[in-house]
Amino acid sequence: MVSKYFTHWGFEEIKLVKMYYFDNAATSWPKPGSVMKVMQRYFFYGGGNPGRSGHRKAIEAGKTVLNTRQLLASLFNIKDPSSIVFTKNATEALNIAIVGSLKPGDHVVTTSMEHNSVMRPLRHLEDGGVRISVAKTDSKGRTAVRAIEREVEDSTKLIAVTHASNVTGTINDIEAIGNFCRKRNIRFLVDAAQTVGVVPIDVEKINADLLAFSGHKGLLGPQGTGGLYVKNADLSDPLMRGGTGSLSDREDQPDFMPDRYESGTLNVIGIAGLGESVRWVIDRGVERIMEHDSQLLEIFVNELSENERFKLYGLGKAYEQTGVVSINIKGLSPSRVGEVLDRKYGILTRIGLHCAPQAHKTLGTFPDGTVRFSWGVFTKQKDIVDATHALREIAEGS
Amino acid sequence: MFKTKRVRDFQSLEGVITFFGSHHALRSEQILKKRDIKAELIPGPREISPNCGVALRFDYSKKEKVKKILDEFFVHYEDIHYYPVN
Repeated sequence: MVSKYFTHWGFEEIKLVKMYYFDNAATSWPKPGSVMKVMQRYFFYGGGNPGRSGHRKAIEAGKTVLNTRQLLASLFNIKDPSSIVFTKNATEALNIAIVGSLKPGDHVVTTSMEHNSVMRPLRHLEDGGVRISVAKTDSKGRTAVRAIEREVEDSTKLIAVTHASNVTGTINDIEAIGNFCRKRNIRFLVDAAQTVGVVPIDVEKINADLLAFSGHKGLLGPQGTGGLYVKNADLSDPLMRGGTGSLSDREDQPDFMPDRYESGTLNVIGIAGLGESVRWVIDRGVERIMEHDSQLLEIFVNELSENERFKLYGLGKAYEQTGVVSINIKGLSPSRVGEVLDRKYGILTRIGLHCAPQAHKTLGTFPDGTVRFSWGVFTKQKDIVDATHALREIAEGS
Repeated sequence: MFKTKRVRDFQSLEGVITFFGSHHALRSEQILKKRDIKAELIPGPREISPNCGVALRFDYSKKEKVKKILDEFFVHYEDIHYYPVN
């Protein structure tokens, strides 16, 4: 069929070149093949609107969503699957958690390693009278409980901490922070965008009241998926209100989970794919995935740490860091390194500030930023070795 | 997951559980079936509840057992009705 509209997607050109994908912290690639198959099946055979009607297509769509919810619940050790809300990404989840739970006059404590998806909603609320304290992390990006304790006041309503930094991969001891929150009876929000699917998470153990996660990173699901765990429905106000398929005789928003936060038709095809990818991750084992990422981290750090031309940020320690490393080559700007890596070697990295200016100020890399390598479950040892060879060539050639 | 559903005989199922939201309706069907209690999702009868599009037909003789199971699994339901087919 010939369309009069010429569309060029450009996928084919990318396919022809040998590539090293090192941007899994932004979004993971590739995905398990079965994810696409499930989405295709949903597209052709499913396709109803979940929760809207009682016919079989609507019910099958509803069951698809329920299935993914239950898989996520078992991944995070959540007893009641209805406390998981689907969002379009971790950012939307963080916005519900932050904007929905803070009122003018409230005080909130966060850390200096946060992503802009936490900092920007907070700074927006600051104009409306919410007070913010930023706890300083150490130069490796670790948040000490004491640093948070120092900032806590009587009016502190929320403590928002990232599970792992998206710049350095440094994993925070959120169990200790969660225990502190429980002792002081303060709401605890965990940003698990970087750790979901690559670091084991148990919401009971870490005492999270709110946990935001993305579906398209460590969980290997399609883009446009994410979610928020809400312990109790009264913890946060919804950002959006609208049709839920429930209480249709009333014009106020339902107050029960998950309908309170899920207005409008869900991204069911994405959620179907997410369900399959979560099943894949559970089958593979999060511990095993973490082990794999850590082994690659050791290789990467060993190859580069002896060379004084490289500056590595973060801990550089296996099991205390996700598969994320930020580096700089002395005498070269990150953007130049990133450009050569892409054009000459086909190595795809993320350069710059990674949406976390606050974190780069902590590391002392503001405003130039770093070159960030992030790998995943499909990255091979040889890919890491090839990447470090390319980096050495660039460092020597400059 | 996407097989064509056979129309089952649920003449004998005289109870109907109504829900506020469909998540809970779908979940309760799954939970009850796993415990060998006959249950069948139906379009919610408007005359007993305006709330959710889906309701669950079930074996009314097991009402008390069903109540206990639903509470145990955090399923929020609106009400349990005696609502025979004819």
